Amino acid sequence: MEKFVEYLPFLIPILVVEFALALAALVHIVRHPNYRFGNKVMWVVIVLLIQIIGPIIYFLLGKGEE
Amino acid sequence: MRGYTAFVKKEILESIRTYKLLIVVAAFFIFGMMSPLMAKLMPEIFSKLATEGMIITIPEPTAIDSYTQFFKNLTQMGLVVLVLVFSGILSTEYSKGTLINVLTKGLSRHAVILAKYTVYLGLWTVSLAVSFLTAYGYTEYLFKQDGIVNLLFSVFCLWIFGAFLLSIFLFTATLIKSNYGSMLLTVMVIGLLFIMNIIPMLQKYNPVALISNNVIMLTSPYDLSNIYVSMIITGIFTIGFLCSSLLVFKKKSI
Repeated sequence: MEKFVEYLPFLIPILVVEFALALAALVHIVRHPNYRFGNKVMWVVIVLLIQIIGPIIYFLLGKGEE
Repeated sequence: MRGYTAFVKKEILESIRTYKLLIVVAAFFIFGMMSPLMAKLMPEIFSKLATEGMIITIPEPTAIDSYTQFFKNLTQMGLVVLVLVFSGILSTEYSKGTLINVLTKGLSRHAVILAKYTVYLGLWTVSLAVSFLTAYGYTEYLFKQDGIVNLLFSVFCLWIFGAFLLSIFLFTATLIKSNYGSMLLTVMVIGLLFIMNIIPMLQKYNPVALISNNVIMLTSPYDLSNIYVSMIITGIFTIGFLCSSLLVFKKKSI
């Protein structure tokens, strides 16, 4: 528990960044249902399960054109 | 000039709408935060690795270790992220044909290149600042920062190298229409610089000196005049690449 409190200043910002990225990606996936490859379910799973890297991969590779 | 400001606004809006800003800032924030944490946890990680009969002794981590991690992360992964995120700098405009309308309406071609360079340089500055401030804050929190000199200068060297990289990238993007082609050419140029760094005589003049001496600068009373030469040469190359991309883009059929 002591360790946990010691690293709390690291955990909180990481969680915030993770959730911000995942949320932004999730909203984008639902609102723009056309992707360069893959389908909605696949991208939702990737974005929610792979932390940090998932949303970045979605925005760089998976996001379809408008 | 009006065309330039309008295009700068368009580029900023684009980097927000395509989530480039979010990705770069988030990635660099994480790099900045991981560095002190990794330095702090390194002895613990190694002690977990040690099996029976094996003793690994590691000195107590200091602020220098934290900055070693920081510069290692940023000069490797950081620059890779930078190139990956900015890879579509011109190729998406070519492939979608979005430049044709504005150029036929009288926007000067120079304005396009300069506005793009300004915005991407700004993005790099912001992300480096975010990363450095987080790293600095957490290092302050975890370690004692005594005897560290030239910290800002060292980060400034990294910034100049980033600006240089962006100018190369812009130049290759004007030369080659495809996204991957320009990325490959940029990597080749950087690779060539690293290979040239083997020759001791050229090391002083090589732009790579800006990202390979960052940690040495922090500790000892390092002679900064060694870096100035490389800095000036990098600056000249940056302006040179920028000018040549202006010239190439002027003649380019879009």
